[in-house]
Amino acid sequence: MAILRKIKEKLSAITKKSVKKQKEVVGKVTKKTPVSEMKKEIFGEHVTAVEQSKYSHPESHRARRPMPQDLPYQYGKDRIVLMVRDPWWLHTYWEVTGPTYDRLKNDLKDDFYKAKRLLRVYDVTNIIFNGSNAHRHFDVYVSEQTTNWYIDTAGPGRSWCVDYGLLLPDGRFITIVRSNTVGTPIDGPSWITDEEWMIPEEMFARLYGMGFGLGQSSPVGKAWQERVKQALFSGVLASPGMASMASPVKKGEKERKFWFVLDCELIVYGATEPDAKVTVQGKEIKLRPDGSFTLRYALPDGKQVIPVKAVSSDEVEERTITPIVSRETKSTNLAKEFSKEI
Amino acid sequence: MNKGYLCLVLHGHLPFVRHPEHENFLEEDWLYEAITETYLPLISVFEKLVDDGIDFRITMTLSPTLISMLSDPLLQERYLKHINTLIELSHKEIERTNWQPNFQSLAIMYLNLFCKARETFEKYHRNLVSAFKRFQDLGKLEIITCGATHGYFPLMDVCKESVRAQVKVAANHYESVFGRKPRGIWLPECGYYPGHDEILKEAGIRFFFSDSHGILHGTPRPKYGVFAPVYCKGTGVACFGRDLESSKQVWSSIEGYPGDYNYREFYRDIGFDLEYDYIRPYIHPDGVRINTGIKYYRITGPGNIKEPYNPEWARERAAQHAGNFMFNRQKQIEHLNGFMQKKPILVSPYDAELFGHWWYEGPMWLDYVIRKISCDQDEVRLITPSEYLEENPRNQVIIPSMSSWGWKGYSEMWLQGSNDWVYRHLHAASDRMTELVKSFSNADGLLRRALNQALRELLLAQSSDWAFILGTGTHISYAVRRTKDHLLRFNRLYDDIKSNFIDEEWLSDIEYKDNVFPGIDYRVHQ
Repeated sequence: MAILRKIKEKLSAITKKSVKKQKEVVGKVTKKTPVSEMKKEIFGEHVTAVEQSKYSHPESHRARRPMPQDLPYQYGKDRIVLMVRDPWWLHTYWEVTGPTYDRLKNDLKDDFYKAKRLLRVYDVTNIIFNGSNAHRHFDVYVSEQTTNWYIDTAGPGRSWCVDYGLLLPDGRFITIVRSNTVGTPIDGPSWITDEEWMIPEEMFARLYGMGFGLGQSSPVGKAWQERVKQALFSGVLASPGMASMASPVKKGEKERKFWFVLDCELIVYGATEPDAKVTVQGKEIKLRPDGSFTLRYALPDGKQVIPVKAVSSDEVEERTITPIVSRETKSTNLAKEFSKEI
Repeated sequence: MNKGYLCLVLHGHLPFVRHPEHENFLEEDWLYEAITETYLPLISVFEKLVDDGIDFRITMTLSPTLISMLSDPLLQERYLKHINTLIELSHKEIERTNWQPNFQSLAIMYLNLFCKARETFEKYHRNLVSAFKRFQDLGKLEIITCGATHGYFPLMDVCKESVRAQVKVAANHYESVFGRKPRGIWLPECGYYPGHDEILKEAGIRFFFSDSHGILHGTPRPKYGVFAPVYCKGTGVACFGRDLESSKQVWSSIEGYPGDYNYREFYRDIGFDLEYDYIRPYIHPDGVRINTGIKYYRITGPGNIKEPYNPEWARERAAQHAGNFMFNRQKQIEHLNGFMQKKPILVSPYDAELFGHWWYEGPMWLDYVIRKISCDQDEVRLITPSEYLEENPRNQVIIPSMSSWGWKGYSEMWLQGSNDWVYRHLHAASDRMTELVKSFSNADGLLRRALNQALRELLLAQSSDWAFILGTGTHISYAVRRTKDHLLRFNRLYDDIKSNFIDEEWLSDIEYKDNVFPGIDYRVHQ
């Protein structure tokens, strides 16, 4: 624990230092992101002399700015973002910077280390949230290293706001970052109807069922709701998404991994005078400039008689060569039963 | 006199997969395959319908990235090379299958198909957008727009500036291509979050689509379910809901038409089936076997044993399925007409690539559906959303519910353990972009170029396709790379701009690589 703390302190010190450094070098070429700076100090990596001379070169510095190889680990801003996954689930991610933790450590002293990290999820449906007027809240405890979380709200059709903060030993909760407010959709038809566009319940049930492609019957009660959910969530009707990636046409599944296919092809090749006329089974073929030719055939079962005839350009000479090929295919399919004896 | 309407929507989108830095790039094949198998066949269907005097209405998304790729000279050149290679291969196939008449006739079918593709491609001067525009100008097609790079809006709500940029860049791009503003939009993945209609309204967009539950779970209750559009409260932007019954007949992987045993089997391609040395010049230069588009089998049955494809049987089945589809719409509309005070509209949206690419007979089926509806009955009429709104200006006002048409109906496909890490970076980049726009409200010269490029990189990183691929778990490395590359380029531009140190050489390089939206104005991100 102590070691971890030490590393963290060092990290935040480095971050601070590099932030400061950054300020000083704005506009200069040697600007480094805090993260790369951090890595260098931690891993003992040093800028080589060559690099140094590169960076100080006054003319060609424009092309020297290194292309970052990976995305930043952090963006140096305290932030928590809340997103809606579906009527029941939210997703949140957050970032808290070193300086913020330093300030908290300063303020809270030992309490900081005894505090628990948590997400406080507020139900703020239909209110302007001021930090203390939520309908209710619930807490999700997270570890220090965690930076994102899926939250089961079990509350479709509500508005939510989340704080990431510290729960102190005396029960006080200190908000470090507060999220945006989001609304989860309802997971069924609205109970609010519009007087001007009123519709009898039974008729709406029919329209609702039809809207989900459940035919024209009038489904009622829970079974009906279940069918709707099934239709919606089975994935059967979901978009295949990117059209080149997924087919709505089902791929036949291989029963076992082992498989074997066998085919035969026949290659017929030869050569003659480049200006001769050659026919294979009566069809004229094209010769290469040197008079050679190659033909490739899928060879089905049975007998193939392949007369190949060459006629000289002056039509004085003619030769025919006829290979006769036959293919017969037999196959066995043996699946051994094996027992799991030890 | 018709009793109701059918609105067929084809959503055409592919992510921006242009890689000038490599001679051959695997992912560019997504575009080439879609051109050969979907866009060109659809164009042929529309052409024949027009020639035969058949009146029809189709609504079609052409996503801005798709339009950009279809009109890109480099990709056009490469497509031509691609199709020529396929023609060469089909010639070889005709020879190779000389003793297999079943297969040889199919090889000839492919040769004809590829030659026709090349001919149509050349006829429209290699730019298929002009072909679609022609049908729009004839009043048969309503082309709608989409998010600029198909960003998934509900997960962008925390930085609405980015939603606005996705919409405005798309609308401006549309205007530059079609000479008028888009009236409608296909929200990427059909993802709606309440309040985003405000942004659509700002861009002059009058309607969008949602999945069924977007309307059915809206507040207050929609009087006509999904069978009439609603106006969003406060903005009056119209929302049309998907009819799941007609969707199911085409989409469903269990009972949908495309799974019929007589239809062509997608998963048996000679790129995987034939002898390696022979097929080697037609697969990826790295030697990885890929689909060539030449497929000889029909689905046959649930097992692995496949019979040769029979085009006649498939055609017959497509005609039957078209008849069935029409019959069901007639019944549906008759039934609805009985208790609605206005003519119902059935909205049936599909990914365009379902037709032809996945479902080989799809364009043929569509052709039959349109002809039958036009000639064989009076109850159902094809309509576009714009036309419907003109005929029915009075509609109920509700707040649609957040929804998408993805797996489980909400955002889980794009927000799960495998892809949630991207949002931290995407949102940070959005914030940074907003900050840049605030700091430089009127930049010019090199700075302006850098700011515009920063927005391009941000948009490209936002494409929902990357998160989707990460979610499916296949081809992940490309999606990770694309997400990271665009974000890294964005971050470096941000640093460069902030420190007043723009590396022009490098900027030119990424402007060349990621050349989407040449007319972009970074100030739309606010």
